[in-house]
Amino acid sequence: MSMSAYYQTRAAHHGVVTSDWLAQSQEAATRAVVTGGQEIVDGGKSGRAFSVIDEFNNWRKQPDLAEAVAAIRALAAVIRNSEAKTMMELEIELKKASDSLKSWDTTSISLTAGCDLFMRYVTRTSALEYEDFNSARSRLIERAEKFGEISYKARKIIAMLSQDFIFDGCTILVHGFSRVVMEVLKMAAQNKKLFRVLCTEGRPDRSGLRLANELAKLDVPVKLLIDSAVAYTMDEVDMVFVGADGVVESGGIINMMGTYQIALVAHSMNKPVYVAAESYKFARLYPLDQKDMGPALRPIDFGVPIPSKVEVETSARDYTPPQYLTLLFTDLGVLTPSVVSDELIQLYL
Amino acid sequence: MANGGVIAPVGMNLVALAAQKHAVPFLAVGNIVRRVLHIIREEDLSLTTAAIGGLNLSAVSDDENDDDRDGDSTLSAAAVAAAARSTLRPPSLQTLLEDTPVSAAVPQTSSSGGDSEGKSKSADKSSRSRKLKHDVIEAVNELIQDIVTCHEQIAEQAVEHIHQNEVILTLGSSRTVLEFLFAAKEKKRSFRVFVAEGAPRYQGHLLAKELVARGLQTTLITDSAVFAMISRVNMVIVGAHAVMANGGVIAPVGMNLVALAAQKHAVPFVVLAGSHKLCPLYPHNPEVLLNELRSPSELLDFGEFSDCMDFGSGSGSPLLHVVNPAFDYVPPKLVSLFITDTGGHNPSYMYRLIADYYSADDLVVQRRATAGN
Repeated sequence: MSMSAYYQTRAAHHGVVTSDWLAQSQEAATRAVVTGGQEIVDGGKSGRAFSVIDEFNNWRKQPDLAEAVAAIRALAAVIRNSEAKTMMELEIELKKASDSLKSWDTTSISLTAGCDLFMRYVTRTSALEYEDFNSARSRLIERAEKFGEISYKARKIIAMLSQDFIFDGCTILVHGFSRVVMEVLKMAAQNKKLFRVLCTEGRPDRSGLRLANELAKLDVPVKLLIDSAVAYTMDEVDMVFVGADGVVESGGIINMMGTYQIALVAHSMNKPVYVAAESYKFARLYPLDQKDMGPALRPIDFGVPIPSKVEVETSARDYTPPQYLTLLFTDLGVLTPSVVSDELIQLYL
Repeated sequence: MANGGVIAPVGMNLVALAAQKHAVPFLAVGNIVRRVLHIIREEDLSLTTAAIGGLNLSAVSDDENDDDRDGDSTLSAAAVAAAARSTLRPPSLQTLLEDTPVSAAVPQTSSSGGDSEGKSKSADKSSRSRKLKHDVIEAVNELIQDIVTCHEQIAEQAVEHIHQNEVILTLGSSRTVLEFLFAAKEKKRSFRVFVAEGAPRYQGHLLAKELVARGLQTTLITDSAVFAMISRVNMVIVGAHAVMANGGVIAPVGMNLVALAAQKHAVPFVVLAGSHKLCPLYPHNPEVLLNELRSPSELLDFGEFSDCMDFGSGSGSPLLHVVNPAFDYVPPKLVSLFITDTGGHNPSYMYRLIADYYSADDLVVQRRATAGN
């Protein structure tokens, strides 16, 4: 069973680690290093081996950095280490690096989306024929580096936009640990809003426990639920807030396992489901059902040994169709799910 | 920006005044204030782009020999224009990675220009502000024209939607709906109209009278009869007080009832609204949520009920309360089509029109201390 590196990283950042999981992840990590070594992108005649994958992994280890930002920083490092003399050459190198990044971890949507976004930007920059190569190249590097700020600003913008939707005395249901949602709740707490948070445990990562800790530090009243208790408590909930691992072209989202369930329950009880996601997570995918995406597997530790005859559903994520989502809070504004395909069309066509 | 700073407080006072008066549709006032602010920003930016384009080209030709004098002026004219265009347009994925807006570039070009250009710049400024005022006044006049002619433009589309031998249902009275139906009648469509009277103001009665005067077969029903009659109806056409950013509609009370009945029986629910009714706010916003409560006298005759509603007798608070809300909120999923002066649109498309007509900066218009009463 191959493990999804993306969900492995997320668990490392936000989840509760058990020894069983640790053993499995270490084994997977050694496997990844071996395959990663074969993907070295040669930096040119200097003979210095530069691996874009290593660069990416270095950036990814920082818990506060978004996945797409790590990808773009890695691509910026490719530009810096490249010895290309023309834009075409640089573009080809970048395409190779971007492809190797994407194939190394096929389960991470924001990685793919971030790479594609940066490639489109490079193509558009190279189309401006007025400039000479060196200034264009330095500007690409500078923009890529600035992208980290953009992503940080994006979270702040999303937090500001969602403040109006959180009214005094409301109850918010949150699923999974999203840094964007954390920012939203943090800003609401700082603005002295009175609200209550119901937090699902989020098995198998149990990232909900981590979220509950963070919220308790902010003096926000938190109540922990097991995942199955969502329907039971849904009638006292005013709104559901989730983040997204990726936003697909239909306007639906791909997020931690359990999001679809919660959205279905919320929809049947007429509760709004709000998604907080930065715009660089918009990806050109159009899943028609749950199995349409590539599998992203995570080992689950049940605490007791399971006989080998028994199969375990280890998918780490699910797809929530757009009809169950009310609004998307992005740095492009407050959008309805139908806007996503519009934005993607504008970018790619 | 100096010009925006003058308009915004005046605008805020207007909105506050309208909200107090209740006679004027207060949401529309806020919309127009924001439209004007957006026009001012647009005109200012387009003037600045033109100015920069001109200055940059001359700077490039002058400084051909001193390439390294101003390192920042490596921003070519094309890149600056692209950045300027991106600030005029709403934020999108395309512009996500692009550089900071034009205002940062302005001081750079003025520093790279020679001394002789400095004097012409100050003369430029006053002529520029005159040109800005002229452009803004022109654009505002266009806006006024648009608002005045919106009924005709919507009515032009009537023929595409109303076909032969149809039955249309409407509630209350709306001038837009009236013109819409008349236009279809002009084009020789024969159809029947069911008018729900729209209690407690009974404006449906007036609408029925006008329709009959024009030769249309009309049936008058009470609001409570809508569910009973909806199965005989082909299409529901109504007006709106305001359209929210998510595609929801603020309409006269009773509209939600009609929309639910239409959904139950799969009847298309068409809303006619001029583009000045498009509001960049969301329904959670307190400005919108505060429904206007009208006088109980529209429901009850004070003479008959004076003892029930007497504040003087007994415990001081009467047992009979009369609530007379003026507006209803219809959620976007119940609306099939919006017909505006720019054409027919899906409720999920309304966000685009907002991005076209309003600037993000104006969405939260600040409440200054002076405006507090």
